Amino acid sequence: MEYKEVIGRRRTIRFFQSWRPVEREKIQIMLEAARIASCAVNATFLKAIVVIRDDIPRETLDAIKTPVSGLNIELAPVHIYTFADMGAYKGAQARLKKLVDVGALNATHGWSHKFVDEFVWPNVLKPLAENANQPSVAAAAASDAGIAICQAMLAAVDEGLGVCLSAFQHEHMNKILKAPPEWIPLWVLLTGYPAESWEAGGQRPRPPLEEQFFEGQYGKPFKGDPKVTEQLKAAKMIQAPAPLPWRKEEIKALARMFGLPE
Amino acid sequence: MASIDKPIEEYAAVKTWFTGLRDQSGIDPHDDPSRVAFLKEFCATLEMDPDELVAACLLKKEGRETKISIKGRRSMAERIADFQAAGTDARERPKRGNTIRSFLIHNGILLQSGIQI
Repeated sequence: MEYKEVIGRRRTIRFFQSWRPVEREKIQIMLEAARIASCAVNATFLKAIVVIRDDIPRETLDAIKTPVSGLNIELAPVHIYTFADMGAYKGAQARLKKLVDVGALNATHGWSHKFVDEFVWPNVLKPLAENANQPSVAAAAASDAGIAICQAMLAAVDEGLGVCLSAFQHEHMNKILKAPPEWIPLWVLLTGYPAESWEAGGQRPRPPLEEQFFEGQYGKPFKGDPKVTEQLKAAKMIQAPAPLPWRKEEIKALARMFGLPE
Repeated sequence: MASIDKPIEEYAAVKTWFTGLRDQSGIDPHDDPSRVAFLKEFCATLEMDPDELVAACLLKKEGRETKISIKGRRSMAERIADFQAAGTDARERPKRGNTIRSFLIHNGILLQSGIQI
């Protein structure tokens, strides 16, 4: 699938084929996509634990459901529990020097081993590592983790899977996961084959470009070019908006198939 | 506690339910007579009218703010499960429970039941 179409086809899938396992290689593809994501100071903030839903004891599965995520958690055959590793700053000094060694960070931009050791580490990274509980530090780590999660999601879509980022009750699940205390729980990336059509009723409503993005300063909308919009429609990145005409009938059919309220 | 003392369609909660079925779910509330029959039976079992069923899931805080009561919702979910299990026909049971869940959901009461098959 072409890249723009992958972006265009991504939806939050809420009905999974609960009976159909996901091939292990497809999970690996998702994780590899996350692994090579952009990350500040080359720190791998995203950590994740893959769990097969049917390996989770029933009482734990029930306990981790939030009021609005219960059905999603139950239907998805694969759960990828994601975390922001606040300990990831700790190895950043060595990782930055590795980037110098491989030619990613160069003298052209002011980088050297000595600069890392004598300036970046003591003045920037060490204070961050020592104040990892500060909201701004945690937000930066979570942002990087989100970028990596997004790549995993898009890779899943490219593999024909459906994904849904969902909240979960961490304290119950961690009895199984045994995640280290410095890992901040983020989301569970629910993964499986969609039971609903991949369109899932159409592309979700979003505000127009001009409401969300600005040029030069806040209040000056970034104006899109209608020609570009047409190009993106042709590339299937911008798709038919929800609701597609048959969506209500699809939901009725799904509700009856799974025995859900209408 | 009150029993149903007027046509069930006249209760505000039933009107809300019917509107939700029509507008959100694309379902004619009258297409299946069992829908209202199950609600009446459930109301009789709990000795509540439809509006009271909804109120039982809510929590009035300081006389003004109304929030969803976790205890009330859990209790109601258990009663619905009992009502569902009381069905004599195995194929009818999920429909019994889901009818009541649908009624409460369209009245803003969060009730995710999971798969009922």
